[in-house]
Amino acid sequence: MGKEPIITAKDVNVFYGQKLALNGITLEVPRNKVTSLIGPSGCGKSTFLRSINRMNDLVDICRVEGEIKIEGKNIYDKDVDVVSLRAHVGMVFQKPNPFPKSIFDNVIYGPKIHGLVKSKSDAADIVEQSLRRAGLWKEVADRLDEPGTSLSGGQQQRLCIARAIAVRPSIILMDEPASALDPIATAIIEELIDELRQKYTIIIVTHSMQQAARVSQRTAFFHMGDLVEAGATKELFTSPQDERTQNYISGRIG
Amino acid sequence: MSDMFAGAEEHLKSRHRAERRFRWMGRLAIAFSLGFLTIMLFSITILGKGALSRTEIALRVDLSIEAVNPSNIEATSFNKLVRNTLFEAFPEITNRGERRRLLGMVSADAPFELERQILAEPSMLGRVQTIWLTASDDIDLFEKGEVDITLPEDYRRLKDLELGWLQTLEADGQIRSVFNAAFFTSGDSREPELAGILSALVGSILTLTVCFGLSFPLGIMAAIYLEEFVKKNRWSDFIEVNINNLAAVPSIVFGLLGLSILLGVFGMPRSSPLVGGMVLALMTLPTIIIASRAALRAVPGSIREAALGMGATQVQSTFHHVMPLAMPGMLTGAIVGMARALGETAPLLMIGMVAFIVDVPQGFTDAATSLPVQVFLWADSPERAFLEKTSAAILVLLGLLIVMNIVAIVLRKKFERRF
Repeated sequence: MGKEPIITAKDVNVFYGQKLALNGITLEVPRNKVTSLIGPSGCGKSTFLRSINRMNDLVDICRVEGEIKIEGKNIYDKDVDVVSLRAHVGMVFQKPNPFPKSIFDNVIYGPKIHGLVKSKSDAADIVEQSLRRAGLWKEVADRLDEPGTSLSGGQQQRLCIARAIAVRPSIILMDEPASALDPIATAIIEELIDELRQKYTIIIVTHSMQQAARVSQRTAFFHMGDLVEAGATKELFTSPQDERTQNYISGRIG
Repeated sequence: MSDMFAGAEEHLKSRHRAERRFRWMGRLAIAFSLGFLTIMLFSITILGKGALSRTEIALRVDLSIEAVNPSNIEATSFNKLVRNTLFEAFPEITNRGERRRLLGMVSADAPFELERQILAEPSMLGRVQTIWLTASDDIDLFEKGEVDITLPEDYRRLKDLELGWLQTLEADGQIRSVFNAAFFTSGDSREPELAGILSALVGSILTLTVCFGLSFPLGIMAAIYLEEFVKKNRWSDFIEVNINNLAAVPSIVFGLLGLSILLGVFGMPRSSPLVGGMVLALMTLPTIIIASRAALRAVPGSIREAALGMGATQVQSTFHHVMPLAMPGMLTGAIVGMARALGETAPLLMIGMVAFIVDVPQGFTDAATSLPVQVFLWADSPERAFLEKTSAAILVLLGLLIVMNIVAIVLRKKFERRF
């Protein structure tokens, strides 16, 4: 079981109105690995990420063709409930966006709406476990009732990761999670991503090739709506097959 | 500084001048508006303070058993009693016309006032008592210094004859000025000295209750649905344009609608706060919808993404996260709408809330009037004494507005959260 990919995308086209944003993407994402999506701005990497948990549904003019299978099930089938899909596929956004509530409430919100909280001690356990996994527990253990927005940017982002973990997803999508953070906070997040890989499959969109090289085992390079090349991170960066990939990683385009 | 290009310093100076000029213009604009506001409040207060006091005349009333039967007080003609008392006080007056003027010194309500006082304290029966009765509006105005006695007699309602009687009464200490509680505890009257604001105040409060109860929930629900749930297409654009147009419809048109539909078709009670509130709710609805949509739009999209990304349903995301953040803005919209509804007269005229209402309305279907309509009615009355009532009613209206605003601010503070 561990060997076959957790996500398989096949011939995925995404349109914004008449505009084709993603053109026939076919990609396999391996289980318990970090896959990074890289490419210049507007190449469609975020669009692809957002089709994995159907956040694109929120955009009125967006239309998705093709199929994306998670654990063998096409998430664009009629009988798929986006609510349980998003519980299964967590997401961390570019800008830390904690709710304007206490740290505790931020973490417990997801489990609560999904009915995972049976008792008060349950809630406390989930919050502690999630915050520990996100590497934030030591910093906030004694001030769980303070607003999540009072934390620093890096802490807020880890709070968002804890919030996503609390719902027990198997996949976590990260949309440039460190681009709004300073280098030290970035390093902490990257370390965290590496640890989280033990339990979760992570897909991360990043602008920084260095970050992709540091945190991911696999990399996919997008360019103008096409998936140009995907493979093991080391190989992609050392011996790219496509000229566009070579130009991008060597800094000639992008 | 030395390497600046030629003329740069001059240019910089003119930029600073423009800056200073603009600041001064801003200050001037604020000073102007504050100044006018102060003048308005000041003049209304000066004019309206007279309504807080009224003049009373003391009469020695014969309450002996012959005049008032203690076991059957109601059978007494208090009208006659007041007449006789006045005639006895000025026995030298026998002329019919002059006697009528003499009777006009006290309010038309004086006999009832006397009856109420006796019923309240029957122990005063059996002998001659000094009783204070409300003076008529002309006397009241004179006592407040509102009558210019230097005018020729023909130009005054108060003739020299009455001035003479007043002098006699004043010399005997039979004139006094008291706090006019009746202004706050009674309804409208044709007699200015008896007219009170209570029925209009209660009418306004009942009407606004209906208006708020209908327009606030409907308005924010419509706004939430349009802003958070509806897909943008031709239909949603059509609805949006129409709501915006509705906000600009003259209010009297809503009154006509109420008249023809609510009263005409559904036969709802005329002049009632229920219908008034419904009409005002229709008028307020677009304002609340527009303000609430703006408040919802101001909530950062990242909050919605965060909630939906965790698997919250659209409803959960909206009610758990978006609405609490938009609540202060929604309340501001509601209070703006309510303030407009409170001051609205035109639509209420159409549905009959312009009626002369003496009794304080007891429920939503009783005939009622509202504060601005009362102001309009009093301002329209020929008696000069209504001038001070009009100003005082405006002050009550402003007071209610301030109370509403304070409530809104307190609620807003309660809901306000930091991002």
